[in-house]
Amino acid sequence: MKDKKLLFVTQFEELWFDALQSLMDLRKAGFNHAVFLHVIGRDKVAMHRGKGYLKDEEVKLREMANVRFIDWAESLFEQGMEVGAYIVVGNPLPKIISTAAEEKVDLIVTGRHKRGTFEELYGGSETLEILERTSTPVLVYKYMLPSGKVNERPFERPLLTMDWSPASEKAVEYLLSFKGVLKKVIAVHVIGEKEFKSPSAMEIQSLRKENKQKLEEVCSRFEKEGIEAESHLYVGSTFEQIEKAASEREATMIVAGTTGKSPLKEMLLGSVATKLTKHSVLPSLLVPASVTL
Amino acid sequence: MSRRVLTVDDDPDITMFVKTVLEENGYTPLVARNGEAGLSMARDESPDLIILDVLMPKQSGIRMYRELKSDESLKNIPVIILSGIAKRTFLRSQEALTEFGDQPIPEPDVYMEKPVEPLELAETVKGLIG
Repeated sequence: MKDKKLLFVTQFEELWFDALQSLMDLRKAGFNHAVFLHVIGRDKVAMHRGKGYLKDEEVKLREMANVRFIDWAESLFEQGMEVGAYIVVGNPLPKIISTAAEEKVDLIVTGRHKRGTFEELYGGSETLEILERTSTPVLVYKYMLPSGKVNERPFERPLLTMDWSPASEKAVEYLLSFKGVLKKVIAVHVIGEKEFKSPSAMEIQSLRKENKQKLEEVCSRFEKEGIEAESHLYVGSTFEQIEKAASEREATMIVAGTTGKSPLKEMLLGSVATKLTKHSVLPSLLVPASVTL
Repeated sequence: MSRRVLTVDDDPDITMFVKTVLEENGYTPLVARNGEAGLSMARDESPDLIILDVLMPKQSGIRMYRELKSDESLKNIPVIILSGIAKRTFLRSQEALTEFGDQPIPEPDVYMEKPVEPLELAETVKGLIG
């Protein structure tokens, strides 16, 4: 089997070696190649009035990143993994996209970066922009649990959100490729209040039955692969109910398909992906409809 | 004809340094930026010596070294590993790959940890290929 690659993007603010180490379980799903990426923002070395380009500062920042990456790489190499590293200067977004393309990675892992006011307004847009411009799934990795402990096996109990779109179908297929890492999949569909158009109890019960059947079909696909699965229907506002379900069912991660709409559209529509990226306390695995499996 | 030495490293400062040392000592330098390109160049150019980094994009020196030593036409080319990665890590990683089912491979001819002095590098190259 060809080694799958993950691109681990770190600014050394949000993701450290323990985050990387907690993803080593993914080797059971064929992820034997890690590529590290650190982007030195232009603002750190350029655009300083009267000072020009700060070459010495660039060298210092590069070497600081290099020392960290060498240490991380040594640990992974000794486990028999393949490792590569990029330390580049520029804007993070285009660098993430170009590195993902150059290395043909199967998964991009990013943290949630600290943001300014403007960026906060568009919270999560960097991740959505990656999803719009590549067909590679993105794991927004919040690896510290609210308890302060490291989420050691994020793929063990993923909560799979199903909205019956082509993107959520792709999310099912993508998640199936993690066989060997998954212990139990929790498939959830949220029925929005708007869907209760008719006051007829009969029609509402039909709606419940139809969605439950679809969820059971999803579960049986996992069970055929030897992965435990359970299905749950929730009612109400999608993001709040997903968070509630994740908490009640002790999920370790949330998985969602994404439409690939522009970040602005996603934000205006109040998409689940935007909210997961911005607000969820759990890691979010976002799978674009365009992913090639 | 001067002896040809292939340097595989993604750091332009290092390749420039090695290139200069090689040229000053009468060798012809060849350069590749990662293991994938290095392996391809080794096959095309059959260099007399390879100086190989470990941590690189696309394909690491650990995998490239393994491929070199598993290829009948390339396995006799001497290799200097020149890297920031510790020798112990390199050897352990090769052991780990062997445990996963690959064939055992010999240790590199010389292992040098960065940084290296120009004279030390020149003498090491001379010691291997004259």
